[in-house]
Amino acid sequence: MLEIKPIFNAMRRSKVGAFMLLIQIAITTAIVSNAAFIIYDRLQYLQQETGYPEDEIFHFAVLTFGKDRNLSQQFEETETTLRNLPGVINAAAIQEVPLSGSGSASSFGINPTTEQGREGLEVTAAYTFGDEHAIDTLGVKIIAGRNFEQDEVIVAENNDVMPNVSIVSQSFLDEIYPNGDGLGQTIYLGDMPMTIVGVVDKMKGPWLRASIADNFLIIPFVSADNFQRMVVRTEASQRAAVMRQIEDTLLAEYDKRVIVGLQGLDESKREYNASDILMLRMLVVLITVLVLITALGIFGLTVFNINKRTRQIGTRRALGARKSDIVRYFIVENSMICIAGLLIGSIAAVYMGQALLELYSLPALDHNYVAITAAFVFVVSILSVLIPANRAAKISPSVATRSI
Amino acid sequence: MFIHYLDLSWRSLRRTPLISALMIAAIAVGIGITMTSLSVYHMMSMDPIPHKSDRLFHVQLNTMDEGRTWTTEDNLPYQLTYTDAMNLYNADFPERKTMSMRTGFSVHMNSSEVKPFLEGARATGREFFAMFDLDFVHGASWTENQQINASPVVVINQELNERLFGGENSVGRQIYLDDESYEIIGIVKNWEIHTKYYDLNNGAFNRMEKIFVPFSLVVSKELSSWGNTNGWKFEDVRTFQDHLQSEQFWIQFWAELDTPEEQQIYSDYLRTYLSEQATKGRFERETVQFALRNVNQWLEYNNVVTEDNRVLVGLSFMFLTVCLANILGLMLGKFLRRAPEVGVRRALGASKRQIFAQHLVEVSVLGLLGGLFGIGIAQLGLWGVRQTYSYYSALATMDTYMLLAAPAIAIGACVIAGLYPAWLVCRTTPAIYLKTQ
Repeated sequence: MLEIKPIFNAMRRSKVGAFMLLIQIAITTAIVSNAAFIIYDRLQYLQQETGYPEDEIFHFAVLTFGKDRNLSQQFEETETTLRNLPGVINAAAIQEVPLSGSGSASSFGINPTTEQGREGLEVTAAYTFGDEHAIDTLGVKIIAGRNFEQDEVIVAENNDVMPNVSIVSQSFLDEIYPNGDGLGQTIYLGDMPMTIVGVVDKMKGPWLRASIADNFLIIPFVSADNFQRMVVRTEASQRAAVMRQIEDTLLAEYDKRVIVGLQGLDESKREYNASDILMLRMLVVLITVLVLITALGIFGLTVFNINKRTRQIGTRRALGARKSDIVRYFIVENSMICIAGLLIGSIAAVYMGQALLELYSLPALDHNYVAITAAFVFVVSILSVLIPANRAAKISPSVATRSI
Repeated sequence: MFIHYLDLSWRSLRRTPLISALMIAAIAVGIGITMTSLSVYHMMSMDPIPHKSDRLFHVQLNTMDEGRTWTTEDNLPYQLTYTDAMNLYNADFPERKTMSMRTGFSVHMNSSEVKPFLEGARATGREFFAMFDLDFVHGASWTENQQINASPVVVINQELNERLFGGENSVGRQIYLDDESYEIIGIVKNWEIHTKYYDLNNGAFNRMEKIFVPFSLVVSKELSSWGNTNGWKFEDVRTFQDHLQSEQFWIQFWAELDTPEEQQIYSDYLRTYLSEQATKGRFERETVQFALRNVNQWLEYNNVVTEDNRVLVGLSFMFLTVCLANILGLMLGKFLRRAPEVGVRRALGASKRQIFAQHLVEVSVLGLLGGLFGIGIAQLGLWGVRQTYSYYSALATMDTYMLLAAPAIAIGACVIAGLYPAWLVCRTTPAIYLKTQ
């Protein structure tokens, strides 16, 4: 019915061309399925929820070099100035900005650390110091417990007095108190005890890529230092306008200081993830062009085959073959090569996935991707053979008779 | 004859414009994609100081209790404690060695013309400049005395000098760092390297510092580290003095060792030093562990070439293979269709070798054209890389080497793809085609 045998015999006479097409399809399948899988993996990572309204938040740091200011009051004044700007919802002093790739981490335990080490459960988490406005400014929601009271926030020039409460992310709480009774319990940073007073459902730490990305704590402390980071939340539409006036407004207030690192939270996140975005874009370009090139290859080869067989096609038409028979001939021929190529390519894709898994820290290839890619390549190959095949079908039977 | 073949190839390309364009496009895209990832790889893996990379050694000491682990493959911390850095620096051997650390200052000129700004700085020994080939345009490094006395002196680079003093010789002038006056004693050239190999703590491709100050200022001015500070045990660190005496790691240390003998001497010295320190009760260790890694080993150890980049280079070469298979198929068709013409040429006396050469010239021309267009595509790709990731902006460029490599790889690849079709066509027996004409 499909005339596979005569087609196969005809193909054997131009082995190399068919073989090259087969190789192309095989490699294309292998690359595209693995690349598509990596792309999907990165997309999931990049689009994950962080818990913050990133487009409403921006941050900067103030470096005071003038020595005539009381630093433990200055951050409060700065906050007030910021809150008075139109469009600003809230502002807070914070030590480390989430999602920015820069932060502090430590292990927290249910027992204090002593000279002999620590007993019992320990969980590693990122943390930041911040004041009582930090929660609202970061736009995260407390689902259990409460925010810091103003008198719980320690403002100090050294760490002789330390805070004794903290607000933690749900994921950290579940890890350190797996029985679900963590709220109100005590955790230790080194030998410093803190009561968990509030829980936030989701707030990511500074390193999205880290295994501890979901473990994050806010500790009510402001170090009265000449380097003070501030975080501000505005209406999303007004953020750019507010950001533009920050430097002038603050320097007008006191000019012996430098404003640095003024940046939106989404921009900081993009910078931290730039290498992933780059990989993503490169792979998208790579597979798009690859599929295109393969399609063009199939197209070109079919055109050649048709040119070579013009007379043969004319003869077949003269002997009574219908146009659809000619089209079918090329489609079947192409499909035979394509299926062989897809089989080899799928096996290669699986092996390549394993190699990538072993050599690099990439996740294991999901075999559905191979199947979907194979189907996709097959459709593309059929489409690219259709145009020249239809042209071949138009060859008039007279060609066969005329040129003899 | 070569010119004639070139002429023939040109004619042949023009006779089948669509197919020629398709082939050139295939090569150009293949080369473009390959060169984009290869250029970044090339820049990343480039030896930053080729003539002495095998003589500069980064020192790592294990001063943790036995059984403590670190994130490195051999459990050695990247940096040293203040105690060790000072002890190694004050030792007699080798002549050139230095500790260094990234810090920073707010900078102003005590005038309203220059708005105060924040700038990273390197606190280091006076040997730093000679060791890392940082040449002086004006002035020189600080003296031994200035170093011991923690004098407020500073070396800046040309770029900063341009910004603050319009590029004139500013040696002897004042600059304010954290609101304190420092005297400029030297101006060094801008550093033309991509990899910040001397300090990989905060990203290998970050900008180099523009300000250099004596390391002794770290103690007198209590300068904090802008790099990493890592502890391995619980220590009650409250004051800066605690920090200096702690077992925290925060200082990088490099030594210049010119001969294998010197390396041996230094290894022996470090071994003795560590066993000696172990007896002082700082840490509990039976086995002495340390490492001296030269620049390239250090880059390798720190995985400076990223995994993603290796994957991309691999994928793009596979991609190039697809493009080659593609043009091989097209070329085969094209050459075979020309068999009658070749038959006539053979009958008129052309040897097989001449036919073969003619076709190889033709594929080389294809390769050259594809390579040239490929450079264009690669530039576009690199532009995209720079736009996406400003951190790579110094890396995502093609140097001369890569510019030459592009057509070379293109021609090489095309010749490989063209071998079989050319061989097939030169085997044409004249008789068959003469008969059918």
